Amino acid sequence: MLIQGSWHADGSAAKIKAALRADAGKVTIESDTGILFSGVTSDFKVSARLGNVERKLTLPDGSLFTTGNNDDIDQLFKESQSFLHFVHRLESRIGWVAIALVLTVAFSFGFIKWGIPWISVKVAHVLPHKTNELIAAQAFDFLDEYIFEESQLDEAKRNGIRAHFNNTLLPLAGFQSENQSDIKFTLHFRQWQQDDQGIPNALALPSGDIILTDAFVELSQNQNEIDAVLLHEIGHVIHRHSLQRVIQGTLITTIVMMATGDTSSIADIGLGLGSLLVSSEYARDHESEADLYAFETMLNSNIDPVAFSNIMTAMTSYFETSDDSKSADVEPGSTEEESLLDYISSHPVTALRIEQANRYSECFRQNLKTCEQR
Amino acid sequence: MKALSFEGSGFEYFKIWIVNILLTVITVGLYYPWAKVRNRRYFYANTRFEDRSFEYHATGKQLFFGYLIAMALFIAFAVAQQISPIASGVGFVIFIFALPWIIWRSLKFNLRMTSFSNVRFSFEGGLGNAYINFMLLPVVFFLILYGIPIAAAIIMPAVATAGVSTSLGLLIGFCLVVIPVVAFLLFAYIKMRNSHYSVNNSRYGQGQFSTRVETATFAKIALKTIGIAILSIIVLALILGAIVTATIGVNGALAIQQGMSDPDQIGSVMGSLLLIITPLYIGFIAIGIFIQAYSYTRQRTYLLENSSLDSHITFASTLTARSLTWVMISNFLMVILTLGLAMPWASVRLARVIIENTHLHSEAGFDQYFTAKQEEQSSLGEQIGDAFDIDMGVGI
Repeated sequence: MLIQGSWHADGSAAKIKAALRADAGKVTIESDTGILFSGVTSDFKVSARLGNVERKLTLPDGSLFTTGNNDDIDQLFKESQSFLHFVHRLESRIGWVAIALVLTVAFSFGFIKWGIPWISVKVAHVLPHKTNELIAAQAFDFLDEYIFEESQLDEAKRNGIRAHFNNTLLPLAGFQSENQSDIKFTLHFRQWQQDDQGIPNALALPSGDIILTDAFVELSQNQNEIDAVLLHEIGHVIHRHSLQRVIQGTLITTIVMMATGDTSSIADIGLGLGSLLVSSEYARDHESEADLYAFETMLNSNIDPVAFSNIMTAMTSYFETSDDSKSADVEPGSTEEESLLDYISSHPVTALRIEQANRYSECFRQNLKTCEQR
Repeated sequence: MKALSFEGSGFEYFKIWIVNILLTVITVGLYYPWAKVRNRRYFYANTRFEDRSFEYHATGKQLFFGYLIAMALFIAFAVAQQISPIASGVGFVIFIFALPWIIWRSLKFNLRMTSFSNVRFSFEGGLGNAYINFMLLPVVFFLILYGIPIAAAIIMPAVATAGVSTSLGLLIGFCLVVIPVVAFLLFAYIKMRNSHYSVNNSRYGQGQFSTRVETATFAKIALKTIGIAILSIIVLALILGAIVTATIGVNGALAIQQGMSDPDQIGSVMGSLLLIITPLYIGFIAIGIFIQAYSYTRQRTYLLENSSLDSHITFASTLTARSLTWVMISNFLMVILTLGLAMPWASVRLARVIIENTHLHSEAGFDQYFTAKQEEQSSLGEQIGDAFDIDMGVGI
């Protein structure tokens, strides 16, 4: 076998024409002026094959033989092929490339759809409750500083709701979460105003601090409606949704970084948008999970889940009648037909949630303790 | 003068790229350093001048350790960012202090791992200058740019209520004019210093690169870039105005504004809104790309034309803003429309237009160059830089 190429002395840019001759295990490199090297195949350090780029064979004395004749080199150095040659074999068979493509897409999709949520749930529940308090401590200060004002509600009314929360609701919920006893639930009341209008909302911090806004309390018709929403918020806390979001955020950032690591920034816009959609999808799953927790606790605590349906309806119509169109990130505000906006909003279509509540209410009226998932 | 050539092909790179991604994905990222070496080698080894080519010598194993450390740091940073503003602030400050070191290590490692015609490059710049160029001066620049106007905004109302003397008013007005000019000149000065630092400290074997570029020229280029940016935005606004009046008219636009607050109409309003937003969005991206391409090509041409290797090997660039813009915009559309699958073709096209517009003149050829022996380099800085998306290319 004769392979044409060039030869560089160790570390030199100067090159001369040379040829590699292989004969019965003996390899020589020769130029016009004579034999440059003589030995066996195992003397050479051969660069891994990559597409059709020039091959570089380093000799024991540091000199270098280069050639574009990749196929003959592969043939000659068959025995000393590394793992990277296997990679090249994958790259050069179109069938394997197609399989790689399909596997990559499927794997990425599966990882985003199931992998990230699964890891987040596991990690969130392994971490101590202290982590939750760490996240919440600064969040509450921030909210108090920039968003909330002091509650204007009647002192007696606040105390009434708080007493009911501590003495009645928590034991009911605690019944289902004995192992969560390290969480200390505390109820707070705050005023949240935007453009001189109160915003009805309820928030849960991972530490167990639950905040009701004045407008929410005023909007609610009875204790059951407040309880329904409080249970929903407790559901967020015991499922550690905030912590899960932190972990998801970290994972997504890391993956986006890895995906864009070796590319130009032109795809960043698309990836940014993609990760936004993905995280709002996760957030919707969390809302459904919290809803479910509330419904099931209500079934077991003798509270008609219709209360949840009522307060949701009330909030929806509140946002619809108010001129404030900024309700997208507040609480429900979208109706079923707004499929585009729905994807952006982090709460599942309100109509669907109301429907779910009504279904549980039906189970409640039939005195069932569970309700079949649909 | 003779152009460099690029011999990679989109399809060939696609196969390498997709197998890299697959192996990276199924090894939960552990294969990444090897993938990176393969990608980079593909571009280096396909870049040729006459019958000589570049080569990238780092191995996956060499990058692996640095990569693990970099990932750990990156994850710590990402967690801090999610959890608390204070922790992420502290992380950011540490990062600012580490950055010059990372860039310095990156330059050293990457040049050392690059060869042309069997001769290695190297970088001999000092760490002290890296701290001046990549920390001190940028921090001063941002302080001037953001700090002083913010301070002015805080002081001004206080002064206004207390009553202003004419001389104080003049002083404030003077500052408002002088600060942007100082910031602008400082920006050009930083460009000049960075070019001197990265080029004059680079070696090819025993050969020395040298460049002499001036602040004034970088300032001129930046000034033109700003002018073009302002002009294009005005043109975009005019075109958009024309589209709106031609299609839905002024009343239509007002109707949209009213419709937004009426939930029943939002659906129909969204349609007409897309009509306005889509061209606006595309227009902004196109302008952004053009401005980037303009500034990049002008600076590159200027730098290459004033650089040499041992004063007898000289460089030139024929890359125009127009051809680069075309490649970048078509790449952008291609990548978006194929959900990223066209990325390899985009990378190859971009490399080709840049490399094949780079010219080199060498009377005596390269034969007299040889690699001076040096101790092995650690890849740590390079990998950390990579994790935080810092690319210090030397612009070949």
